[in-house]
Amino acid sequence: MQEHAKRWAVLGSVVALLMFLGLDRGPRGSGPALSPSLVDEDANRDECTGSFLPAAYAAAPSAAVPAAGDIGPIRLVQDPYPSLHSIALDPLSNKVVMSDSNRGNLLFYARTGGGPSPSVVVPDHQIRGPATGMMFIAGVALDPAHQEVFTVDNDIGDRMLVFPYGVEGNVKPKRVLFVPHGSWGTSLDAGRGEIALSVEHINAVVVYRREASGGEAPLRVIRGANTQLADPHGIAVAEEDHEILVANHGNWAPLTRREAIEGKSRGGQFQLPSVTTFDEAAAGDITPLRTLQGERTQLNWPMGLGLDPEHNEFAVANYGSNSVLIFRRTDQGDVAPMRMIAGDRTGILGPVGVAIDWQNDELWVTNYRDHSAVVFARTAEGNVAPKRILRNAPLGTPAVGFGNPGAVAYDSKRKEILVPN
Amino acid sequence: MHGIAYDSQHDEIIVPVHLAGALLVFRGDAEGEDVPVRVIQGSHTGLLRPETVTLDVKHDEIFVGEDSGHDVLVFHREANGDVAPLRVIHGAQTELDEVRGVAVDPERNLLVVSSRSATFPTGVFVFKRTDDGDVVPQAVIAGPKTGIVRIRQIAVSDGKIYVAVKNNKDSFDVNAAVPSPWNPDLPGFIGVWNISDNGDVPPRAWIKGPATGLIWPAGVALNSGDREIYAIDSVRNGMLTFFMPEVFDTSTPTKR
Repeated sequence: MQEHAKRWAVLGSVVALLMFLGLDRGPRGSGPALSPSLVDEDANRDECTGSFLPAAYAAAPSAAVPAAGDIGPIRLVQDPYPSLHSIALDPLSNKVVMSDSNRGNLLFYARTGGGPSPSVVVPDHQIRGPATGMMFIAGVALDPAHQEVFTVDNDIGDRMLVFPYGVEGNVKPKRVLFVPHGSWGTSLDAGRGEIALSVEHINAVVVYRREASGGEAPLRVIRGANTQLADPHGIAVAEEDHEILVANHGNWAPLTRREAIEGKSRGGQFQLPSVTTFDEAAAGDITPLRTLQGERTQLNWPMGLGLDPEHNEFAVANYGSNSVLIFRRTDQGDVAPMRMIAGDRTGILGPVGVAIDWQNDELWVTNYRDHSAVVFARTAEGNVAPKRILRNAPLGTPAVGFGNPGAVAYDSKRKEILVPN
Repeated sequence: MHGIAYDSQHDEIIVPVHLAGALLVFRGDAEGEDVPVRVIQGSHTGLLRPETVTLDVKHDEIFVGEDSGHDVLVFHREANGDVAPLRVIHGAQTELDEVRGVAVDPERNLLVVSSRSATFPTGVFVFKRTDDGDVVPQAVIAGPKTGIVRIRQIAVSDGKIYVAVKNNKDSFDVNAAVPSPWNPDLPGFIGVWNISDNGDVPPRAWIKGPATGLIWPAGVALNSGDREIYAIDSVRNGMLTFFMPEVFDTSTPTKR
């Protein structure tokens, strides 16, 4: 229990907000930029027209009320730079895409992008803006055959958005599919013409037609007590082996009173993190083919999965210990990774996305906590420096780390503001 | 994690873990992988998906609001393990659905709850602090004049209720054109009501408009000493501080 509690203390940790970016007092002050390119300020206007009180209240008889209204913040904590989340590769098209969950943005780089220096690398192009419908986006996938990019809105938005290759800027998606709340990972099964998503909140994998749109129902749903799915995140379809691999954080709780009773009154649980593998055609409350779980695995907040079908391996972005773990695809039980990349020379900090470019013998990692992606040799191991670095903010720029924050508290003893993600 | 509370008297942080049906209590100076000092979790707790939390240090109680449980559960402040709640507010008469915020006024013996629903009113519900079971709220602040469409965290201080009115629409019409997340129909705001308000009444004050920088505020907290209001915005991924001396009790000297 102590180890579980310790591990989940990470979840319970909060961001102490110490980085005040500037002052902005009074209406339309000249304080910090509020990412104006992301926000259509005119669209945020309403009938209030700047009045200090709602019109309805102004007509009320007892007008002895405190004033407020359209006032500017005196301080703002916000990250003006992308927070890199997931990653997908298309070596044939020389394309790498990374999702930015901070600003609802897709960044495209050349496969050979970056270099040994930590200087900022400008993306080749971006998809970003109100028309895209992208919000708190998470997983990404590329479809080289149909030249399409897939991404999902995670905890707000509840949509999968599909864009054609080559578009940039503030463009509408080619297709929009409404997906379960909390969808996170995306993986394409080109052979079956399907797209598989992991869903955190309902502990499920949902599989749709590749071309699904609107309110179309999934073809299959993997969900239930036997699945061992527990707060699933990364997902990877191993097409040649007809399997789906899923990374689980280990959180589990019944969704409804009925589910609690049907589950023999199981309460919430902190399970060990795991990677569960299913047949690609699996559906319903089915037992996984294999489960990778235990202390030796060193799994700790496993995020994205990267598959290497050529060498029958997969990589795990292991957020909780700033590492990348590489396992054999067929590993199961409590086994150690065959390789691990970790240490102060690696530049890995808060890894969320990982992808293996087996054609070019490279392994890519996106760092949520460092405004960077790092590229290693595919067989890199230990505390090694990356081959290339792609930074999207000047070296030393702190990553605020907000990800769809939903609450705030004030610690009056330390004069700190506490924000859970 | 969708909620958080700080206990200044005992220097503890309380966090609900939504996806694991748990409440974690940490030391106030916890950081990194520090172990929680107490964990409330298990089938006896009645916790399903704890969404929001608050403290009543005067009466040594923790209040937990749940969205999928449609309830408010009350535990002893020092509860630990798989323990049953002291009280549960739940049932059709409560009109609680997806509970998004809880706050307590121990002086007035009131419990204030924010709830959103497609069946019942979406708004602020005021109960007696000691209510238990399927009880009727003594006041409900909801309706078109309130400006509340979607609602989240709330705070109570000096007889006022501070509400993060998020107003997001996350259940879009699938037949509609792609809705833009960046210019919602109804931008969110921080609204202030008197704790004695009831019915379809507009806020007594609000922080709203383009200058505020608020899009979808999901959280609100107060620093009475410095007369500051903190708002967290889930779309902007930002934390905004507003100086509003006019809404705080002027009998307390400001620290500025």
